[in-house]
Amino acid sequence: MLSHFLLMVLYALLVSLFFTLLWRRERKEQVKLFLQLFLGMVGGGLLVAWLMYPFPSGPPAPIP
Amino acid sequence: MAEPVENPAPQPVARAEGNPLAAIALALLVPGLGHVYLKRWQRGLAFLLLILASLAIGCMLGGNLYRPEGGQPLSYLATAGAMGVGLPYFILRYALEYSGDVMGAGYEYGSAFLLTAGLMNWLLVLDAWDIVRGKKE
Repeated sequence: MLSHFLLMVLYALLVSLFFTLLWRRERKEQVKLFLQLFLGMVGGGLLVAWLMYPFPSGPPAPIP
Repeated sequence: MAEPVENPAPQPVARAEGNPLAAIALALLVPGLGHVYLKRWQRGLAFLLLILASLAIGCMLGGNLYRPEGGQPLSYLATAGAMGVGLPYFILRYALEYSGDVMGAGYEYGSAFLLTAGLMNWLLVLDAWDIVRGKKE
C-alpha cells in the first residue's frame, strides 16, 4: 500500500538516479552523488515535515 | 605568500559521431533515444527506464498531464514541461485519452511525477546536444 512517505522516497530515488547518471561517469563518484542527492531529499523532506509538525493538520487523505 | 591554486582547464572530449539535429530530434521523440543514437546504449536505456517509470507511476496515481488552459498562463509553462517527454505525452493524451483523476488522492503526487518525467527529458535533450558537440563524454 502506498503512503506519502513511500511516494516521497520513490520520487527521490528516481530523481537521484537520473541526476547521478546525467552528471557522473565513474562508479565511485556516482555512488557518492547518489547518496548525497537521495539522503538530502529524503532527509530534507523529513526535516520540513518535522518543522511543520506543530501546525494543525486537516482531515487525513487516503492514498490509493 | 600562498602558492597559486592550480585550476586546470577541462580536457576536451572527442566529439560523438552523429548528426546533431538527428540526436536532438530523437532525444525529443523518445526519452533516451538520442543517447542510444550517439552510442551511449547503457545510459540511454537507463534514462528510458527511469522516465517511463516516472510516467507510469504518475499515471497510476491519476496525476495531471498538463495541457494549455485559457486564462491560466502557468498551464502553458507546465504543458511545455510535460511535453518534453515526447511521443509518450501524445500517446497518453490522444491515443489513450488519459486525463488524470482530479478527485483522486494521488493527483498532486501523480502530477509531480508526470511533470518531472517531461523535465528530465528536456535535460536529456541538452545532454545529447552537449555530447554531440564534444562538451561531454
